[in-house]
Amino acid sequence: MQKLGDFKLPHFFNYPPYFTLQPVRETREKQVQLWKDLILDYCRTQKIFVLGLEEEFPLFSNPVIERTLSHEAREAFLSALVSEGRAEWLDKGHRKCRILWHRIQDWADSILKFVKDNGFEDSVMTVEEIRSGIESRGTELHGIDRTILIRALKILEQKGKLAIFKGTSADDEGVKFSV
Amino acid sequence: MRRRPGIGGLQTAAAARDQYRLLGENVAKLRTDLMKEQLATFRSQLEEFARKHKNDIRKNPAFRSQFHEMCAKVGVDPLASNKGFWAELLGIGDFYYELGVQIVEICLSTRPLNGGLIDLQELCKLLRQKRKHDREAVSEDDCLRAISKLKTLGSGFEVISAGKKKLVRSVPTELKKDHNEILELAQAQGYVTVDEVERRLSWTHGRAIDALDTLLDEGLAMIDDGHSDGKRRYWFPCVSSISSFGADS
Repeated sequence: MQKLGDFKLPHFFNYPPYFTLQPVRETREKQVQLWKDLILDYCRTQKIFVLGLEEEFPLFSNPVIERTLSHEAREAFLSALVSEGRAEWLDKGHRKCRILWHRIQDWADSILKFVKDNGFEDSVMTVEEIRSGIESRGTELHGIDRTILIRALKILEQKGKLAIFKGTSADDEGVKFSV
Repeated sequence: MRRRPGIGGLQTAAAARDQYRLLGENVAKLRTDLMKEQLATFRSQLEEFARKHKNDIRKNPAFRSQFHEMCAKVGVDPLASNKGFWAELLGIGDFYYELGVQIVEICLSTRPLNGGLIDLQELCKLLRQKRKHDREAVSEDDCLRAISKLKTLGSGFEVISAGKKKLVRSVPTELKKDHNEILELAQAQGYVTVDEVERRLSWTHGRAIDALDTLLDEGLAMIDDGHSDGKRRYWFPCVSSISSFGADS
């Protein structure tokens, strides 16, 4: 089985027709499903949060079989993820896409777990500390996309689990937990 | 008998013919009886054989295949009914029933990828993987028998030949001769181009496109526009090994 680093690529990735958008509806549906799963899987294991459609992304081409996804195909697969709520376009031109391999709610749950595991129920931290502090190492939160983190925190804020406030430095915010 | 003239002679001749006829019938009946007896002996010997070699029949696909042939020669079908001597003795009915169910499962699960047509060898390979932990080995012959049983159940299963390969069809799609020929052509590299079809089969452009489009619509073919030579290729998952799509230049 072909690998990309540590990641095991599924068999369809080596079958040339899967790199061409299929015209027949049923076949296309199957194709889109396979690609959606692959993109989510890969991004999750590699902790990739944003994809640029015009950039060199390893999944977009397979040099072994000499095939590359057309821009149209890339957009089709990512749009399917967007429709499902597993991705968001960052721009109207659909050039960049944020991948929600965890839904925002899942991230919120992750944060709560992080708080409980470390006894932070009444603590104060900066947003940056949540995503890159010592305690975050080895957890999924480490290196999380900032925008996604803030969104998850806002959900928890609405539930009264924490309060977000502006910090001392211009570009960092703080969080007071009350879990 | 000496021939006598006159009516008396005719009556005697008629009586003689009747007697010969009766004798002939008796001989025929004797022969049939003898044969029936021989057949009955052979059948009971076959049963004895089956009893003795039950394990070999269960475990050894080659042995099992030869056993089936022997049975066929004697007019015995161990699979004819799930009850009765054979089924009980060998549990063979259950074995093929189980195989049939597993084959249906595999065909259904691979249908989205190959349109309902799968290479027999590929099917057997997937079957063996599925049955990894079972003690009974499975041969292509076993698969074919299980499929023919499925067929009598009217489940739409059929084995078709395309070139050197046997393909198992699990959808009601009727494959016309034209489609079959394309499948045969596709076996060399896993795909065909329109040019190739026209050239190798001596078809018009229209005929080639027609057949390929139908195969595409039925989900048996997929298009590939990614080759550097710019020619569209039609790939056929059913002639490839689904479990390991190979690279192609």
